[in-house]
Amino acid sequence: MSFDTFMFVLTSGVLLGGLYALLATGLAVVWTTLQVFNFAHGTFVALGAYIAWQVAQTTTGALGYLFATAISMIAMFGIGFALHFILIKPFEKTNNVVLLAVITTLAGATIIENAILLGWGPRDKQITPPITGVIEVFGANINLFDLVILGVSLLALAALAVFLKISRIGRSMRAVAQNREAAELMGLNVSMLFAVTLGLAAAAAALAGIFVGSLRFMAPTFGNDPLMKALVVVILGGVARFSSPIYAAFVVGIAEAFSTFFLGLYWTPAVLFAMMIAVLLVKPEGLFGHRSKTL
Amino acid sequence: MTKPLLELKNLWGGYPPIPVFRDVSLTLQTGETVGLFGPNGHGKTTLLRTIAGLQDPWDGGVYFEGQRLNEEGAMRARTSAHVNYDLFRRRRIRAVDAVKAGLIYVMQGNLLFPEMTVEEVLAIAPVAAQGRPGVAEMRARLDDLFPRLAERKTSKIRYLSGGERQMVSIAVGLLAMPRLLMLDEPTLGLSPKLRRELSVAVHKIRETGVPLIVVDQNLEFLTSLVDRLILFDHGAITHELPAAEMPDHATLMRMMFGEGAA
Ligand SMILES: Nc1ncnc2c1ncn2[C@@H]1O[C@H](COP(=O)(O)OP(=O)(O)OP(=O)(O)O)[C@@H](O)[C@H]1O
Ligand SMILES: [Mg+2]
Repeated sequence: MSFDTFMFVLTSGVLLGGLYALLATGLAVVWTTLQVFNFAHGTFVALGAYIAWQVAQTTTGALGYLFATAISMIAMFGIGFALHFILIKPFEKTNNVVLLAVITTLAGATIIENAILLGWGPRDKQITPPITGVIEVFGANINLFDLVILGVSLLALAALAVFLKISRIGRSMRAVAQNREAAELMGLNVSMLFAVTLGLAAAAAALAGIFVGSLRFMAPTFGNDPLMKALVVVILGGVARFSSPIYAAFVVGIAEAFSTFFLGLYWTPAVLFAMMIAVLLVKPEGLFGHRSKTL
Repeated sequence: MTKPLLELKNLWGGYPPIPVFRDVSLTLQTGETVGLFGPNGHGKTTLLRTIAGLQDPWDGGVYFEGQRLNEEGAMRARTSAHVNYDLFRRRRIRAVDAVKAGLIYVMQGNLLFPEMTVEEVLAIAPVAAQGRPGVAEMRARLDDLFPRLAERKTSKIRYLSGGERQMVSIAVGLLAMPRLLMLDEPTLGLSPKLRRELSVAVHKIRETGVPLIVVDQNLEFLTSLVDRLILFDHGAITHELPAAEMPDHATLMRMMFGEGAA
């Protein structure tokens, strides 16, 4: 393996890691806060990308891309917010919300997926990347757009972390996640905070979806694969801290890139799952931390 | 005639299908502090949790300053093998309504928010005041009430001792600018030194005129604090004793546990 190829595989792994980090963090935040697993997360990726594609049809250039991204993220925030009241809130009094929410979010996923199919058709689409060109880093050629994607993903995660840390709403979200009854006794509006959480996760998923849709072709089901990888990431890394799934995302991204290079596309999912199972056997709480539930 | 601060009318509650307290009626006037004393496991916490809106009353009414906090009528305990009635059941009382009215509950052994720092918790606590004035003064008063907390500002809650966590819980309750503060075993499981610190703080809170309902296992502390002591046994109020007619310790124990006790 030449140095050039090594750098190429490594950078594509890091890029994947950034995207997985965005997705996995959304999943993890919803899991730690609402205590349910959101199977509709993958379709948030797709829907976000399609909305951006639609807006991008009427605009051009980098500014148009920015505009489409913003509109899509705002729309997806609203959709995630609303979906809490449709898919999860009505069932929160039942004894096994977790199981019910698996079904309701799967139902939501199916509905969204078919809505995309109805609205945009099955033909592949792509969002035109706003930036082209390559730069040289350590003697290897790297796409400028890849770097931008990585930078923006990390910035978005940092912004989310700061929001949770210092803003009134962010702190309230953490409070609700850590002790729901104590939060209720403070008069915090639990449903509203849950809805905001789901909305933020959906917006983050949309951002990832827009990037993926600019790199590859998009189809109504193209969120499924990233969802599965994000699931591996969350289980592998654990949710002890905000940063746990982020580290794990880069581990998975880089592992995927090298496995794809050496073993091929078809073996890669098996390799990732084997890696996940191996880690769970040794460290059931995940790679990065031992507490089960925080933010 | 002024409305009583808190009025419980024939209140029932528990953990379905097991009732924990039955037919509890109680009237509390503004400015009054009452103590609730009874054996472990007889439903004091369940009663306070119900009043605070954390769990649904089965029957009866909770009134705060004349305003009804729970839904009218008895809870239907329907069960069926075929229909999941849980899906249709609405909450019959909501914590947020109690908080809005100024009825504030400090949970027994509250774990609070383990991963947040003392400072962060105290920063969001005033949400509960819902616009009632005086938060800034209260915040300043806390440093005098619980000097320890100033030193532990940047620690996460999960690194605090039980006593310190109790202090944060009470501080959070005070920042809600309570019209009535319900303290559930504020001295539970503490060392004698910390217990003294906490009881001094509770006395100070009472002196500032906040009406209190205090549950505690320490009779000396309770009798020195309250205007009225309520004995609670097997989920029902058995005696109400005004401070002026407070019997001695041995008599109290006999009233509580029957002849041969104390
Ligand atoms: N979550 C629960 N589910 C079912 N039963 C419960 C639950 N919590 C408490 N109980 C039962 O309800 C009864 C009353 O408990 P509660 O905590 O209200 O008593 P308490 O008077 O506050 O006791 P203590 O002095 O120990 O705090 C007990 O018999 C207890 O076992
Ligand atoms: Mg109790």
